[in-house]
Amino acid sequence: MESILSVENLKTYFFTKKGTVKAVDDISFDLRKGELLCIVGESGSGKTVTALSILRLIESPGKIIDGRIILNGRDLPGLSPGQMQDVRGNKIAMVFQDPHSSLNPIFTIGYQVDEAITAHKSVNENETTSKSIELLELVGIPMAKERYHDYSHQFSGGMKQRVVIAMALACHPEVLIADEPTTALDLTVQAQILDLFLELRNKFFMSIIYITHDLAVVSEIADSIVVMYAGRIVEKGSREDIMSNPLHPYTKGLIRCLPSDHGEIVPIPGTIPNLINLPQGCVFHPRCIHSMEICRKKRPSLNMVKEAHYVSCFLYGDNHE
Amino acid sequence: MSMKSYIAKRLLHTILIAWGVMTAAFFLMRIGPHSPADKYLATLGAGHNVSQVAAAIESRYGVDRPLYEQYFTYITSLLHGDWGWSFSTSMPVSDLIRTHWVYSFQLILLSSIVAILLGITIGIFSAARKNTTADHITTFFSFAGISIPNFWLGMMLILIFSVKLGWFKTYYDTGLPMFSLSNLYALILPVMTLATGMMAGYSRYVRSSMLENMNKDYVRTARAKGLPESIVLRRHVFRNALLPVVTIIMLDMSGIFFGGAYITEVIFGIPGLGWMSLKAVFSDDYSVVLAVTLIGAFVTLFFNLVADIAYTYLDPRIRYE
Repeated sequence: MESILSVENLKTYFFTKKGTVKAVDDISFDLRKGELLCIVGESGSGKTVTALSILRLIESPGKIIDGRIILNGRDLPGLSPGQMQDVRGNKIAMVFQDPHSSLNPIFTIGYQVDEAITAHKSVNENETTSKSIELLELVGIPMAKERYHDYSHQFSGGMKQRVVIAMALACHPEVLIADEPTTALDLTVQAQILDLFLELRNKFFMSIIYITHDLAVVSEIADSIVVMYAGRIVEKGSREDIMSNPLHPYTKGLIRCLPSDHGEIVPIPGTIPNLINLPQGCVFHPRCIHSMEICRKKRPSLNMVKEAHYVSCFLYGDNHE
Repeated sequence: MSMKSYIAKRLLHTILIAWGVMTAAFFLMRIGPHSPADKYLATLGAGHNVSQVAAAIESRYGVDRPLYEQYFTYITSLLHGDWGWSFSTSMPVSDLIRTHWVYSFQLILLSSIVAILLGITIGIFSAARKNTTADHITTFFSFAGISIPNFWLGMMLILIFSVKLGWFKTYYDTGLPMFSLSNLYALILPVMTLATGMMAGYSRYVRSSMLENMNKDYVRTARAKGLPESIVLRRHVFRNALLPVVTIIMLDMSGIFFGGAYITEVIFGIPGLGWMSLKAVFSDDYSVVLAVTLIGAFVTLFFNLVADIAYTYLDPRIRYE
């Protein structure tokens, strides 16, 4: 399948007073048409910054310092602000983590869905309203016509997230980025929202980047998986490759953290390193049980070990920059 | 609670507080050792029967009756729009108020308009240019404006612009129509005196409120929809930022009325309520002092009520609770 979005050697750094935070440091991945790509990693691994970089919503002191983000042949970092505005919401839409804060409390939800439509299409008011109500129905808001006039505080968390999803779908984007869309929700509601994503994806054949730290979710929905650690990709491949045949010690560790029928939960010792002061060599080596001499000295590059399965680890071949 | 019952409840509170303020002010005034007859007696030559004259005066104005009786008389007349009798000017207090209130109103109105418009503009300007030189300069002047007492500022302005440079006359001509060019010109310095502190304060509130709202998730959502930055700022940042500012401005009105406007009137010889009450204080004319105190209190209560209702109207989260 053809790739619709390619991220190539993306580097997004934050220049803080304490030092440079390499939030995303040289990552590359492709999203194919209709694919559901999961980006997995702990908090602080650079997942959200990757998503915001794609939409160029990184705010000062952050900056995309290098790399290309190619959407249908167009390099997004090279676009003018006006052109980029046209991409946001129209070609690439985003659903954020916390539905409680991602809606403006002083406007009706209907108005905010309308905005998502009128930002890109010149349609009259009646058409916009009926389109918005249609979208709200599509994402499963009961009595959408009446609820169009309600404010966000009158909705539950799950319903708010449905509204946010409706806004994201307003212009039939080619790429939908969902940044931990269920993290802030109750467990039962999480499942409903997840189902909604899968349903919408099958309906519109959208390409989705789904960001999460929940490997259980990933193992259910992903076509392919990108595993991030401290701003870098440590492993990427198809769901089967990653879930059944993980190579990187970090990925293996993550999977061992999953509760399963047999065996106990084994946590990964240590915590994610300080992004200002990253360890030399492989960023994971201080927590790695297989750490070798070379891991402390050189940064491993992301190498293909088999068709479409990449890993960044010295355990697999003579891998170094 | 519905909007109507909320307003009804607030209104009841306001009436109760107004009554409390009135009662307290009334008794505090009467506790003083002075009798309205004192000033008159002081002007009396020898050969009069002082105690007889005093008794006659006190009986005429009803101050010889028991305090509670005077209190009930005062309330009853107040409810009929009668503010009592001014001993020093020998006319009803209501006539006195009727002649003088417009000058205060004119000064406060013009100063508020100037302060609100400039304060909000400067606040938005420095928020949009956060941490730049322009922002630092406005911050410096804002703090200077807040810190400088307005009686000092008023005198300095007179000293520099009227006395040294001779640009402005230092008096207000009541013989001319209120909105005559000459009087509006004479009001420039008083308005500057009164508006500077207000304006400086509002610009700080607007700035911090804008900055706080710029980091909100819903602002990022609005950007992610592809809305132009100008609309994001105007609609999603400014509208929300204005909520607390509206309340602050409303509540500030009492400070302007009592603190700023009175002193400014006295310094510039504007014959408003402040100027009138200062004269009344020096002539022990306590009906007038009481009236002006109550007007100030009522204005404060009124704006508190307006602030509450305005907030309810502007913020749907409160409207629906």
